[in-house]
Amino acid sequence: MKFPMTSILILGLSASSFLLQIKAEDYLIKNATLHTASDQGVLENSDIFFSDGFIMQIGKNLKPSGNYQTIDASGKQVTPGLINASTQIGLVEIDAASSSVDSTTQLKQQGASFSIAPAIHFASTVIPQNRINGLTRAIVKPVGGTSIFHGQGSAIALLSSFTNGLTNKNSALYASYGIAGANISGGSRASAYTVLDQALSEANYLRHNRNRYLPGFDWHFSQSVQDLDALKQVLEKKIPLVIQVHRSDDILQMIALAKKHDIRLVISGASEAWQVADQLAQANVAVIMDPIMNLPGSFEALAVRLDGAAILNRAGVKLAFTGIDWQSTHNAYLVRQSAGNAVAYGLPAEEGLKAISRNTAEIFGIENYGQIKVGMQADLVIWDGDPLEITSMAEKVFIMGQQQPMVSRATRLRDRYWELDNISQKAYTR
Amino acid sequence: MTSIIPMLQRVMFAFLGLVVLGGCSQENSQTKDQTKTIPFASSYQAVKAKPFVITNATLLTGTGEQINNASILIENGKIKALGDSIDVDSAVTVLDAQGKWVTPGLIDVHSHLGVYPSPGIESSQDGNEMTSPVTAEVWAEHSVWTQDPQMPLALAGGVTTFQVLPGSGNLIGGRGVTLKNVFARSVQGMKFPGAPHSLKMACGENPKRVYGSKGRAPSTRMGNVAGYRTAWIKAAEYRRQWDSYNKSLDTTKPKKRPKRDLKLETLAKVLRGNILVHNHCYRAEEMIVMIDIAKEFGYKISAFHHAIEAYKIADVLAKEGICAAVWADWWGFKHEAFDQVRENAAMVDKANACAIIHSDSALGIQHLNQEAAKAMAAGNHNGLALQAKDAIRWITSNAAKAIGIADQTGSLEVGKMADMVIWSENPFSIYSKAEKVFIDGDLKYDRNDPSLQPVSDFDLGILNPEGVRL
Repeated sequence: MKFPMTSILILGLSASSFLLQIKAEDYLIKNATLHTASDQGVLENSDIFFSDGFIMQIGKNLKPSGNYQTIDASGKQVTPGLINASTQIGLVEIDAASSSVDSTTQLKQQGASFSIAPAIHFASTVIPQNRINGLTRAIVKPVGGTSIFHGQGSAIALLSSFTNGLTNKNSALYASYGIAGANISGGSRASAYTVLDQALSEANYLRHNRNRYLPGFDWHFSQSVQDLDALKQVLEKKIPLVIQVHRSDDILQMIALAKKHDIRLVISGASEAWQVADQLAQANVAVIMDPIMNLPGSFEALAVRLDGAAILNRAGVKLAFTGIDWQSTHNAYLVRQSAGNAVAYGLPAEEGLKAISRNTAEIFGIENYGQIKVGMQADLVIWDGDPLEITSMAEKVFIMGQQQPMVSRATRLRDRYWELDNISQKAYTR
Repeated sequence: MTSIIPMLQRVMFAFLGLVVLGGCSQENSQTKDQTKTIPFASSYQAVKAKPFVITNATLLTGTGEQINNASILIENGKIKALGDSIDVDSAVTVLDAQGKWVTPGLIDVHSHLGVYPSPGIESSQDGNEMTSPVTAEVWAEHSVWTQDPQMPLALAGGVTTFQVLPGSGNLIGGRGVTLKNVFARSVQGMKFPGAPHSLKMACGENPKRVYGSKGRAPSTRMGNVAGYRTAWIKAAEYRRQWDSYNKSLDTTKPKKRPKRDLKLETLAKVLRGNILVHNHCYRAEEMIVMIDIAKEFGYKISAFHHAIEAYKIADVLAKEGICAAVWADWWGFKHEAFDQVRENAAMVDKANACAIIHSDSALGIQHLNQEAAKAMAAGNHNGLALQAKDAIRWITSNAAKAIGIADQTGSLEVGKMADMVIWSENPFSIYSKAEKVFIDGDLKYDRNDPSLQPVSDFDLGILNPEGVRL
């Protein structure tokens, strides 16, 4: 299952989004329960035919022509490949080894303009460990450094190791408010609000007066010129501004700020979002959250609760999930466990699945991914049981139609030590 | 979550430490090396509950058995009888558990509840006395905030007993304490009666980073080992002095009373076997070095915690009788956590060693059943045939064994404390919820009755003056 870099086709769609295609064989998956995450919902005892990486047919008793491999998935369940909406995959190999971490910058002039895409390491051990557990895509985001704007994140596919899986170079721009925003803005939310508001105003002024500002000109803006230039994409609504914010009244402030500057706001973290669910729905603001996180870990998260996601969904808020913060990179696939807990606490199962597939694709503008639907890329996982059940395991994983090896560094270690005999020979088991 | 929250959580698991177990019962029979009264003794009093019987349940006993359509009779806070056919007085209250599962109350051998409470603010970071690499004189119980709102959340996850450990910033972090998950105004009111103290020790990256960054020893793993051995040499000498003094009291010529030293007193109790060693240690070779140190000084390691590489030495752990307390799948946050396999707990169990799933997290402690389920499923996916009745031991009886309370709780057996959970369904399903949680036969939590859902003082009136937090 190894393809050289030359087999990758990149079809341009827009500046920051493009369609990545890889060489793939054709497959017919038969007799499965399909959790489509599309408007078709769940299809029992159905088949999927995919060719050249794209889903061509969905239905019962499909008999496509041509050459393809057939997989009998009787008793199995199929979902779109899963996605985690907030990771540092490819930016962090080991958290406590700073030389293996690229997720943040201390450069003062790089806030909004810090674009993490070039740093993403596609041969990271983190990628196969997530892939074999059913995660086929991820949003990779920067971590805040010296600016209230953290920079721009990307969307990736978790393709095999020497393949560049970048699908969206700049899928969103990130900032923080609340405690994190205040900490970086002199110590108060009030200052943080001003910093965000002023930066957006200046960026708006600059984009309409860009020709006045030539190299060498004396800049009198609160942010560097490249940071203000980067905010242009947000002001033009090409990408969302994802603001990490938890307290419910802070969320309302951000909704007002987004309205004032006419930008597409997404809130992330969102511990107390359920308290302002109606306002979020009305403003069409999507929420990125980890629904299993119910610790009142700070004074801005006191109202957090396990049925928060269910409440938001009932109000009509679009949800995208991530997993527990300190494992949302190495075990980004645990977003499935988080979704399962949201469902255990009242979120409809199909909505739980959408929050780890379709919704995230829609929020971040990932083309042709997120549903089991004709015309979509064939990112598919065959599960041995209920896809949200904790004991279910991924049996087969396809990304863009390509079947993935179910091997990671961890499975290699497991296999080496499965039997604890002939220890001196272990060094020779490759 | 942004900023301070993940930061603190990272600190928590990064500094998993060493706990000392030292039981009140042992202390009673202790040699005369400390004051006559036992300081900070447990004042826990079980609530006297009426007898009741749970019927039609699926029991996971924690002893490796599953009994279907079974009943379990509770009297005086203890398990009186259990099985598929037991005699029950008709006057006894019946709880019909048709379709539900009953397990022992879950036990977490590694928590920092109360010492790293929520909200995680600057003034509540009480788990790591990082002012000296050996702080055997500190006791985690003296940091416990009994009103930590994380405790009732853990109860709703079926956790009836948890060990609170100091962090892992130090080579020897201090004494840990085992608590019942009950409301009390004092930590003594939560202390598990008769549970030994623990001693928290830590291998590897944390202590050498903490002290190396201050330009002090240890700054290397070899420095760590020199630090442990130096401490045990002093402890052995201290013990010898006190033994000699105590022996002299029975003679006509009593010796001068040695000076009391809180640090060495704790370590001497370990050498006497009255405090159980809980050793934060990730790597295979470091664990085996620690086993040799234990042999050199004559103490026993009860459990390795965060034993990421336990699977590599599962046969050694089995032979030495040391438990491996592990996460189901966490990895990658440190280099010593790089070799995690999802099958770790299952591989330890497969080698007939004592496997435990621990949390080290106020979030994970609420879902110990899910963590054990993942570890079980991973093992089965690679060819094992683990069942619920096997995996439940990882969060009940094996945990009880490691913290020295297996004679009292951790299994559904006649005479044991009635610490139990009624689950809505198989606890190894993500949809399963703890519906009723009993401690010593008293119903402490009922998912279907808000009046039986405890809230901490902190939760009261915090969101609005008339309400509670959840």
